[in-house]
Amino acid sequence: MDEDDLLALILVLLPLSLLSIGGGTAIIAELEGEIVRARQWITPHDFLQLFAVSRAAPGPGVMLATLIGWKMAGWEGAVLATLALFLPSSLLFYGVYRASNQHRAKRWHRVLREGLAPIGTGLMIAGVLAIMRISGGGGVSIGITLAAAAVLYHYSNVPPLAVILGGGCLHYGLWLVDFVV
Amino acid sequence: MAAPTAASLFFTCFKIGSLSFGGGLSGWIHREFVERHGWIDDEDFAAQLALAQMLPGANVVNLVIGFGERLRGPVGALACLGGFLLTPFFAVIGLASVMDLLAHSRGVEVMLEGVAFAAIGMLVVMCGKGVMRSRRNAEALLVTAGAAVAVGILGWSMLPVVLVLAPVSVALAARRVRRDG
Repeated sequence: MDEDDLLALILVLLPLSLLSIGGGTAIIAELEGEIVRARQWITPHDFLQLFAVSRAAPGPGVMLATLIGWKMAGWEGAVLATLALFLPSSLLFYGVYRASNQHRAKRWHRVLREGLAPIGTGLMIAGVLAIMRISGGGGVSIGITLAAAAVLYHYSNVPPLAVILGGGCLHYGLWLVDFVV
Repeated sequence: MAAPTAASLFFTCFKIGSLSFGGGLSGWIHREFVERHGWIDDEDFAAQLALAQMLPGANVVNLVIGFGERLRGPVGALACLGGFLLTPFFAVIGLASVMDLLAHSRGVEVMLEGVAFAAIGMLVVMCGKGVMRSRRNAEALLVTAGAAVAVGILGWSMLPVVLVLAPVSVALAARRVRRDG
């Protein structure tokens, strides 16, 4: 990892900040495409682990970018990746917030929200496909994914953290009985 | 009621950021800013949440930036942003460091893989909710499918996809809003 790679990572993240429609889940597919497949800065195996950590830890899911920076260039990478991902969108929000009258602008808020939300959903589906691809897509992984989805869908009061840790324990248990290698 | 100081905004957001395991953050923010402290009323919360969801960036990050600005100007916005991200930043790196130390253990790897599979399930539920919201709206479903296929299956770069889809989708939404009144 040299300075050029760190600069290149920042240049990948800066525009993604402004494209994270509906939040960090929109950019998972693009992160995987750029950082794992195109540039091979991080192995698929490491990317999957960082994704798991970013989801189990507190905070917004975009902390995945922080972890990618950290994996590539230690603390310096973590700080710069975090800034690259949060600053552009934060400044944009700040500017729009100051410029807009919240109560008068309801109509165009609604138009933009209804126009952009379906794109955010589509990008999130792309992210799910990207992560499933690098997770190998075996029967066990899909089974755990669907089981977790079913639990979260049917029992809205179950803490998400319990469900994802449950997924970890279930996979571990299957490994202990040699069902998973 | 007196406006909160930047320090109390920082600590409130620090608390929310520290407790936000596994999502549900906007619920926490509502509890603190609206119910507990009464700094923001319900109507303002809803209007700001709509704006935060519409613009790029993590919704909850946008939300606390807006509240900080409203209550204490630019310093308040910075205090909220810094307080909110402090714990998640160190928590993800701490957790990833522990995982690195344990990397030689196949059992830990297996468990983390299970966490990733279940976390995908969490995203699947979010995708499903997004699709359900536009289920009566063929245009929005097409936009979602277009983004998912272009980025997730064809592997196209996200920037051109969003630059083409966003204006189309927003124009369609504007037509719908005009038609429905």
